[in-house]
Amino acid sequence: MPRLNPLPSPSRLRERRHQRSRRLLASRAVSDTLVSVAGVIGRPVRNPSNAEIGTVKDIVARWDGGEYPPVTAIVVRVGRRLAFVPVAQIESLAHHEVGLRSARLDLADFERREGEVLLAQDVIDHQLVDVDGVRVIRAADLYVAKVGTMYRLVGVDVSAGTLLRRLGPTRWRARATPERVIDWAAIQPFGRPGSPIRLREGNRALHRLRPSELADLLEELGRRERQDLLAALEPETAADALEEMDAEELESLLRESGEEQASALLAVMEPDEAVDALRDLEHDERNRLLGMMPEDKAAELRRLLRYEEHTAGGLMTSYLLLVRRGDTVADVRARLVDDADHRADLPGVLVVDPEGRLIDDVSLFELLAADPDITMNDLCGEPWPVTVTPDAEIDDVVERFVDERGSSLVVVDEEERPLGRILADDLIDALAPQTRVHARRRLA
Amino acid sequence: MTDAAPAVGATSEEAPVRVRARVRDRVSRVLVVVGPGLIAAAAGNDAGGIATYASAGAQFGYRTLWVMMLTAIALVIVQEMCARLGAYTGEGLVSLIREQFPLRLGAFAVVCLIVANLGVVVSEFAGIGAAFEIFGVSRYLTVPLAAVAIWAIVVFGSYRNVERVLLMLALVFITYPIAMVLGHPDWGKVVSQSLLPHLLADKEFLFLVVALIGTTITPYMQLYQAAAVADRGIGPDDYPEERVDSITGSVLAMFISMSIIIATAAAIGGTGPLTSAEEAAEALKPVAGSAAEALFGIGLLGASALAAVVVPLATAYGVAEAAGTERSVSRTFAEAPLFLGLFTGQVAIGAAVALIPGNLIDLLINTQVLNGLITPVFLTFVLILANRRAVLGDAVNGPVLRVVAAVAVLVISVLAFLVFVQNVLGLG
Repeated sequence: MPRLNPLPSPSRLRERRHQRSRRLLASRAVSDTLVSVAGVIGRPVRNPSNAEIGTVKDIVARWDGGEYPPVTAIVVRVGRRLAFVPVAQIESLAHHEVGLRSARLDLADFERREGEVLLAQDVIDHQLVDVDGVRVIRAADLYVAKVGTMYRLVGVDVSAGTLLRRLGPTRWRARATPERVIDWAAIQPFGRPGSPIRLREGNRALHRLRPSELADLLEELGRRERQDLLAALEPETAADALEEMDAEELESLLRESGEEQASALLAVMEPDEAVDALRDLEHDERNRLLGMMPEDKAAELRRLLRYEEHTAGGLMTSYLLLVRRGDTVADVRARLVDDADHRADLPGVLVVDPEGRLIDDVSLFELLAADPDITMNDLCGEPWPVTVTPDAEIDDVVERFVDERGSSLVVVDEEERPLGRILADDLIDALAPQTRVHARRRLA
Repeated sequence: MTDAAPAVGATSEEAPVRVRARVRDRVSRVLVVVGPGLIAAAAGNDAGGIATYASAGAQFGYRTLWVMMLTAIALVIVQEMCARLGAYTGEGLVSLIREQFPLRLGAFAVVCLIVANLGVVVSEFAGIGAAFEIFGVSRYLTVPLAAVAIWAIVVFGSYRNVERVLLMLALVFITYPIAMVLGHPDWGKVVSQSLLPHLLADKEFLFLVVALIGTTITPYMQLYQAAAVADRGIGPDDYPEERVDSITGSVLAMFISMSIIIATAAAIGGTGPLTSAEEAAEALKPVAGSAAEALFGIGLLGASALAAVVVPLATAYGVAEAAGTERSVSRTFAEAPLFLGLFTGQVAIGAAVALIPGNLIDLLINTQVLNGLITPVFLTFVLILANRRAVLGDAVNGPVLRVVAAVAVLVISVLAFLVFVQNVLGLG
């Protein structure tokens, strides 16, 4: 699907980010208490009598599904050992040192617990999704602040300046540059590498994104991250995004997903898009994926796969709403409401005779303007629908479109039974040049 | 898809057209699925490679062949590790380095990579200049024009079609193995020099050995191999086939490289260092006769121009991915400053350096030595990644491979260090 969503303009982004950080700084009054995670690593950990007992190795946070994940512990390097100090024992977490609450410290051996990530090891320098900015970022630094009684992860810094700060002398590292901080509430994080933990719940703002924006994000992410993101989406949302993906990217995404997941996603996608994706796979793999789908779904896709790719049959959307002459307008309207999921594919309903042969294509406008009590038969009449056969070449289809000036064509078999519909956007997809080319695709 | 769809009436008149379209699809599809390993390895035979191999044949006859045998083993090991990293992590090498190493070490690796690749870009522009000079056109005209054209094609145009043409031109060098056979080399010597290691305690020989290693085992090829495997969605399940692909690719590339050395040695062996592209073209005489120079020029142009596009693009892409910034050629400079800036900078600097007056062949070989000096550094990062269980899980390097790969990196490092001390510091 050639398309590239425009990025918000730099000034617009700056403004957004500015607002966001103001919101963050003002509402939480955290500007002075922001602790740079990259800066605090390697700093001393002191007991109440101010003796240094070790240095900070990492900070542990728990992805609890909330907006600002709580810090649950720090990992302290004591001599050659790594110890785990729960947050309850921490008196203060400042940018230059960590103070402990009690003189007596029971050093539990470090062990990861469910849902926990190491901020320095697993999150800094790894990919994240900035949902507000609709882009994939890499965390240059993270900021922790005391919110109420708890230390929480409140922001992520992506600026190049912060990277340079980390490259420079150690004493620079603690200097937070909070004017470039993205509020953590706008971030979709990922699990830790090699971990079976998957984030079942995505950032709620993800669901506000357009499918094409989600598709962009999926294309940009690394393999593990995009599987995480897919898992965090509702199957329908995920399928919508997949329909918008570039064919090659989609192929590699389906290959790297497990077969079960791939077949589940394909089953939810629009049949014509799913068929396009299946065509790109090898014969055996295609059959295996089809075999895992519900029987009727697999049969439908197999039927569509028989058509050649660049013919009317290969282009068409197979979803149709068929009605009889005797149905009333009110009945048909009710069925349309039930089919709201397919609204993008339904410019009209097809009236067929008892043998299933096409009589007329009644547009939604006609239905809207009609008296609810009349029958569909009353709406049939000129202009008669424009039809093509499934083996018509794409050039013929274009010609028919140009001649008829309609928004769609009906594909019928030899017996005039409707098989599908070619919408103008199907044709645009087929004709548009490949304008959207990522560098990485050029490499492969 | 066994039983015909009852609803579809195939009209036979239309069939031929459709069949043709179908065949075209098939062919382009086969071209697309040529394994990443094969392409990565073929990319090793670019301008710098051809100049270095030809120079080795001209200056030392068959005596560098044993180095190539050992380099082949190292190449197979390295490319396989990179393919494995790509398949099991789904990430490019630069991203892996950012995630797995402390930022300062990672930044060091990236700087090395950029310098090495910049050297390659310089050599590609030198190759373009040398190719046109065969046809009598001055490089002061062609190199700037080529730089502008390459930049414009990538930023504004559709590079795909150009890529195909260049790839076809570069295929000229497949004629080297034929030239090798027709040139009647001394096969006994070829075999003995390939199998019996012998070091010439000669500064120039050592210099050329490092150039040979540098042009064969390049950071750029490693980057490409891992990225291509990852981007195609080749995962652990598909890895056995990919492994075969990466190994055959490396072996085939080494076969062509060695045939360049042998063909050149048979034609002009022992005449001293190569000084011009025309001299290198001598080796193709058995195949092309008087057209050898033109054939060589065309191939050199294709190979150089192709790599002059792909290398800066791959570098910019890898670095932007690791930095987490926009990386698409459809973006504007304001949207993707790092990506487009790096790309533009490499093309501009590469072309500018290739315009400095001096011998182009020397420049070509010097850039390969630069690569040879950096290769061990970058290889160390690759080796550590492939040794790390946290990265590869059960696909981590086994104990034998660990030792063999470490020895290979060590030997390359020692050679590079010697050349560095002798030629850069001017000692010895």
